[in-house]
Amino acid sequence: MQYTTDARIIRIMCTGRVDPTMISDAFLKGADGVMVVGCHFGDCHYITGNYQGKIKVGIAARALDYVGLNPKRVFFGQCSSAEGERFVKMVTDFDKDIREIGPLGTGDRLPPPQLHEKIEVAHTALAKEKIRWVVGKFTEFTTKGNKYGERFTEHEMWRTLDTIVMDEVATYEIMRELNRGPVSVKTLSSRLKLPSAHVLKYVLALQRRGFAELAGIEGTSPLYRIARQQVDAA
Amino acid sequence: MSDQIRIGVFVCDCGSNIAGYVDVKALAEYAKTLPNVVYVKENLYTCSESGINEIKAAIREQSLNRVVVASCTPRTHEPLFRGTCEEAGLNPYLFEMVNIRDQCSWVHMQERESGTNKAKDLIRMGVAKAALLEPQESIKSEMDPNALVMGGGISGMTAALALANRGYQVYLVEKQAQLGGLLLQLDTLGPSGVDAAAFAASQAELVRNHPRIRLMTSTQVKDISGYIGHFKVTTASDGKEEQFGVGVVIVATGAQILKPHGLFGYDGERVITQLELEARFKRGTFSAGNVVMIQCAGARIEERKYCSRICCMVALKNAIQIKETHPGTGVRVLYRDIQAYGTENEEMYRRARELGVIFINYDVNVPPKVHGEKVTVTHQLLGRELDLPADLVVLSTPLIAGEDNEAISKLLRVSLDENKFFLEGHVKLKPLDFATDGVYLCGNAHYPATVREAISQALGAASRASIPLAKGVMTVEPIVSTLVDEDACRGCGLCVALCPYGALEIVRTEKGRKVRVIPVACKGCGVCAATCYQHALSINSYTDRQIAEQISACLESSG
Ligand SMILES: Cc1cc2nc3c(=O)[nH]c(=O)nc-3n(C[C@H](O)[C@H](O)[C@H](O)COP(=O)(O)OP(=O)(O)OC[C@H]3O[C@@H](n4cnc5c(N)ncnc54)[C@H](O)[C@@H]3O)c2cc1C
Ligand code: SF4
Ligand code: SF4
Repeated sequence: MQYTTDARIIRIMCTGRVDPTMISDAFLKGADGVMVVGCHFGDCHYITGNYQGKIKVGIAARALDYVGLNPKRVFFGQCSSAEGERFVKMVTDFDKDIREIGPLGTGDRLPPPQLHEKIEVAHTALAKEKIRWVVGKFTEFTTKGNKYGERFTEHEMWRTLDTIVMDEVATYEIMRELNRGPVSVKTLSSRLKLPSAHVLKYVLALQRRGFAELAGIEGTSPLYRIARQQVDAA
Repeated sequence: MSDQIRIGVFVCDCGSNIAGYVDVKALAEYAKTLPNVVYVKENLYTCSESGINEIKAAIREQSLNRVVVASCTPRTHEPLFRGTCEEAGLNPYLFEMVNIRDQCSWVHMQERESGTNKAKDLIRMGVAKAALLEPQESIKSEMDPNALVMGGGISGMTAALALANRGYQVYLVEKQAQLGGLLLQLDTLGPSGVDAAAFAASQAELVRNHPRIRLMTSTQVKDISGYIGHFKVTTASDGKEEQFGVGVVIVATGAQILKPHGLFGYDGERVITQLELEARFKRGTFSAGNVVMIQCAGARIEERKYCSRICCMVALKNAIQIKETHPGTGVRVLYRDIQAYGTENEEMYRRARELGVIFINYDVNVPPKVHGEKVTVTHQLLGRELDLPADLVVLSTPLIAGEDNEAISKLLRVSLDENKFFLEGHVKLKPLDFATDGVYLCGNAHYPATVREAISQALGAASRASIPLAKGVMTVEPIVSTLVDEDACRGCGLCVALCPYGALEIVRTEKGRKVRVIPVACKGCGVCAATCYQHALSINSYTDRQIAEQISACLESSG
């Protein structure tokens, strides 16, 4: 049983330990691919930890895909400690996939510097409450239902999460831009390649939460900037 | 301890196991260049007494406050090295292990250079994590001084008696009305020739009269929760439920006989199993002019690859029995391989031949055919078909995994092998323990066994189980969740709902509702820490920062 020398293993007790930000962190530090490998469902040494692991890896993969990373770079695999050959095959196949895609920034939807900036935004979003709350409720909502007794399919949960990812990525990207200095909705719209109506919606939401404030007017357009104190306090 | 971090790195040759495929000298040289590393030593066998002494000496002489061993797997060796650190006065959790055997030398045998580079990376990652390790104190908790034994066959009865004789209270749960298991259906036991049912009855008598055994027949285990020291068991009997707590659990639920429907014309009349033959012996209804036994009936085939171990011995025993009681009856045994291991089985084989039992080898690709009063077999040496007279065909069918195994494996969170038999924690190091602490196994539940083997295993399992019981207090690894940022916690309970072990609860504090970890129940899976949006929880020895450092160290190149 032999496999590529290009994989490095980080030991964790259970795939349940995988925080979605660990995956984005690895890409920020230059990894070309991340595999998360744990027990089979129903055979988890930590009972249900691997179900949570799969959801965490799932959300990281979706958020990173959304910002331009080739989703094949994230892999969730399962094998028992008695299945060495299965593990070898998994690593070998993944290695082959990654070689086909190429190093980070090739085979992705953005070139390296832009991709890196975008992954930073996804990384922030993955660390924050909105996404993590729904991820944490995923199992409850798909098995028992929410507090109104509504049950959701996994597909519905992922669709909801996709929408939240979109909002969160836009929000944190706008915050990053506002942090760089006063800027108009129009400029933001062209920098982020988002329709101005959407940008305006996010900016106003940030303003309501006290994270953005008016910084002046340029021609007829209002300029916005980050509201330092509020952001630091939060 | 001084504030300065002083890491010692020990790189193991593992004889030639590692050194044969990885440039260990280069690893040691490389380790010296890593931040915070003040001492590096290459050992022939780090886990040998001299290796251990070298670690201890270095801790004292070099004032090491972190130890990294780059060798084999933490699964087997981490406890040893942690113990070494502790004996030298260093907190055992200031130890980090790097696996350059399973992850390098064994899997990159033809790639010395890139395998060595990988090993360097792994050591760099281990050193980076080690620098951030913090001392931990192990967690202690009292044991419930009693045991649950599941299954009242010979294994379960033996284990229950052994524990009860040592002074522990035992709950013995048997789902059937009677104790004895498979032995109730057997005639005599080879190789000793004792009466199986009488033997089972004598043990059952001891069990029933033992003051410390609470016998629960016709009873099912419905639920088990908790952990070593405090398992909470719910049983059901006749629709009546009962709850009790135990410190340890022994699984002795046996196996079941494969009913060979559709195999070799099995009909339970003229074509029967060895078990049905034994029933005829018992009732005294056996009579036949010519018997043909077919070995490996339904075993060692594509859908059931394993050897059931006992069937050859059983066939020899029963062939001898026929010859001794009915010398005129012809007995032919069709086999693929005769597994008569050990001196006594070999002796039975010799005796059977002496008595005139004929052994004919068949090939799995041309299995014998049963038709009418005949069995046709292709003789391997003669290379042609033989017609054998047979008014009785006896199939040696394998034992298969117990019907409750999957349910029990879920209840106790223990593993099954690919044939659904229970899987021990480690073939050599923990043959009678499950990976889950406080749960043990013996007898046919693990794999087909003879009575003697089943008894040895039962005594062994009872002895293993009595270790934590005798200690009275158990020590839990402190690799558990910790509330590292109490102010950040909002007491929302998101993590509480996801903990697989019920190890988290929300409590009222002066600062409001906050989460609390129940350390003895926590297994350190990390789900809570990976979930909390406030990043309030962390897992000892697997903190976010430690893992982030490993990721960083992994992705900066060794140059
Ligand atoms: C045809 C045949 C002939 C044999 N001849 C010999 C021989 O000559 N010599 C020899 O040494 N060995 C012989 N053996 C092997 C012998 O039968 C086994 O070694 C022995 O029975 C193993 O005992 P055990 O307690 O592990 O399993 P079992 O005898 O199967 O006992 C398991 C018990 O657990 C109970 N149980 C199952 N599930 C549950 C549950 N969920 N909850 C509670 N209780 C449960 C069952 O009802 C049963 O009572 C023979 C076996 C066969 C099939
Ligand atoms: S630790 Fe985090 S998830 Fe758990 S109760 Fe506190 S805030 Fe909620
Ligand atoms: S680490 Fe796992 S077992 Fe421990 S409290 Fe967190 S979720 Fe529960």
